[in-house]
Amino acid sequence: MSLNAILDFAPPLVFAALGGVLSERAGVVNIGLEGMMRFGAFAAAAGAIFSGSPWIGLWCGALAGAAAAGAHALLSLRFRADQVVSGVALNLVALGLVTYLLQSVFGSSGVSPPAPSLPRDRFGHTALSYAALIAPLIFAFWLSRTAAGLRVRAVGEHPRAAATLGVRVLRLRAFCVLGSGALAGIGGAALSIGILGQFDARMPAGQGFMALAAVVFGKWTPLGAAGAAFFFAAADALQRQLSFSFHAADLRLDGIFLALPYALTLLVLALSIGKTKAPAADGVPYDPEGR
Amino acid sequence: MPDAPPAGPDAAMSVRARLFSPARDPLWGAAFAVFTSLAVSFIAIAATGRNPALGFAYLADGAFGGAGPLGETAIKGAVLLLTGLSVSVAFTVGLFNIGAEGQLIWGALAAAVVGRFDLPLVLPCALLAAAAAGALWGLIPALLKVRRGVHEVISTILLNWIAIHLVHGWLVAGPLAAAGSGASVSVAGTEPIRAAAFLPRLLQGSRLDLGFPLALCIAFAVWYLLTRTHRGFEWRATGAGLEAAEASGIPASRRVCEAMALSGALSGLAGALLILGTEHKYPGVFRTGYGFDGIAVALVGGGTAAGTVFAGLFFGAIRAGATRLQLVGIHPSFAELIQGLAVLLVAAPRMFAPLLRRLRGAPGTAAAAPPVPTVQA
Repeated sequence: MSLNAILDFAPPLVFAALGGVLSERAGVVNIGLEGMMRFGAFAAAAGAIFSGSPWIGLWCGALAGAAAAGAHALLSLRFRADQVVSGVALNLVALGLVTYLLQSVFGSSGVSPPAPSLPRDRFGHTALSYAALIAPLIFAFWLSRTAAGLRVRAVGEHPRAAATLGVRVLRLRAFCVLGSGALAGIGGAALSIGILGQFDARMPAGQGFMALAAVVFGKWTPLGAAGAAFFFAAADALQRQLSFSFHAADLRLDGIFLALPYALTLLVLALSIGKTKAPAADGVPYDPEGR
Repeated sequence: MPDAPPAGPDAAMSVRARLFSPARDPLWGAAFAVFTSLAVSFIAIAATGRNPALGFAYLADGAFGGAGPLGETAIKGAVLLLTGLSVSVAFTVGLFNIGAEGQLIWGALAAAVVGRFDLPLVLPCALLAAAAAGALWGLIPALLKVRRGVHEVISTILLNWIAIHLVHGWLVAGPLAAAGSGASVSVAGTEPIRAAAFLPRLLQGSRLDLGFPLALCIAFAVWYLLTRTHRGFEWRATGAGLEAAEASGIPASRRVCEAMALSGALSGLAGALLILGTEHKYPGVFRTGYGFDGIAVALVGGGTAAGTVFAGLFFGAIRAGATRLQLVGIHPSFAELIQGLAVLLVAAPRMFAPLLRRLRGAPGTAAAAPPVPTVQA
């Protein structure tokens, strides 16, 4: 397990986990990260293929994630749908719609054609790998040291108090959900045009949920969640390394190794939880009229 | 508003109340959601330049056009109503079981393994084994929840992936693979089960089997258990408020575990219907999605046994019909899109509230409706 492999596998999880932190700190549960990553991964590959530029693809991925998040924001904030249900529904729609789009745009139900990938430096890393190292620091500073970050935390802890002081709770929450979707979309793009170089119909294969686990494990802080994401990425890299050196594919044992990161995540959650505490108003719909 | 109570798994509001009480009229809400999702998918087909009317004609023909299609609708509906019931039962004690897929996979595997033995009552044994396997896999998130406080949404999702990889990537490809599949990439699956373990077919020219009436009987039993027995009452009390239930002497943690075991058992049985009814072995490639669809079925069905049966049969029809959509060049995953949209719409009952009020022409309905409980109240 080399550091290089961790840096390769980390960006999808790190960006999606940061997205989860942003949304949940503002008081909106985001189970839909998985679906937003899926839209992002597909849109990034499609954008890169049609424009020929991976950078435009990256933007497409972020926008698609944000658009999917828009549906989540509309349902859970405007129509006050249950946030967990809305997120689960978004994942179902993403599963069906992206497969449908893959088939109607590229005529395949398996993979997209190869997409132009993000350029790699002489160490073999894309810009996203470095961004995954820096973004958590910037995000942590923003959340804990700026006025905007304070407002985000306020609407997640005690929205009514924030509203009393003139913060527009629903608008701010909507912005955070959209930003969360954009980050998840970048995470998805990191999968399709960062790691694999094409879109695969199985993407993101549970990475959105792993990111969610990273948010919980990281106690809803940007640095904690990013740290957890790197830990999971390391588990994934270790799994691949072990699987390779044990010739797991020949022995038909790869399933055990593939299950390993998920089992490890579950174990870590079971052992770590206890004192962790979600933002006080996380998942609680905000009604400006106070009913 | 005083201080907001802590949100999260043990918020004062039960999952059931949060999900379904805002829908002042669950039946109409679901009907509107289903109708609108069909209309939107109609437009989506037209938008990609295909003939939506023809597509829907194929869809209806594939679901209802004769004994064969009706049988397909029934067998798919039976599996879906079982996974839907699985999710509904978990709702009853306030848990959101996203793990029906993993429980179904273990149930299917158990049925495929036991179905190969030369036992006197091999069919009931295979069904029981499937229920037990699903129940065990459903018990894990329940124990993690009551002992360690791990949120069930996350643990069940992770357990799904663990089940998928362990069963598909290892057990069915390795130790349990049919002999003679050689060193090539195995898509053969396990050895076929014995003919005595097949669910008997009921009609000529259709794959309709005993699983459908069995699923309906199970649905009735679940309805009876939840609404007419002491234990069902305690489950509902636990779901309505864990601490209140505990304060009134109900061992709430135990009840959560029991309900999750039943939830898992129902998904396990759904897997058994697939194996014993149509597949007759654990196939090498087994991408069902029935477990995930169970979430949609339960939500659209309003979390009640009867609603879940109807929603299961409806989505079964969509699934059966969707295979014919390929004739107009539409991937069968289109069914998932319709389902997802229906859930999105059912999740937001407030979207339809003004429309419903206008339809009934009674401006006073809103005032007469029960107050919507919110956590902030």
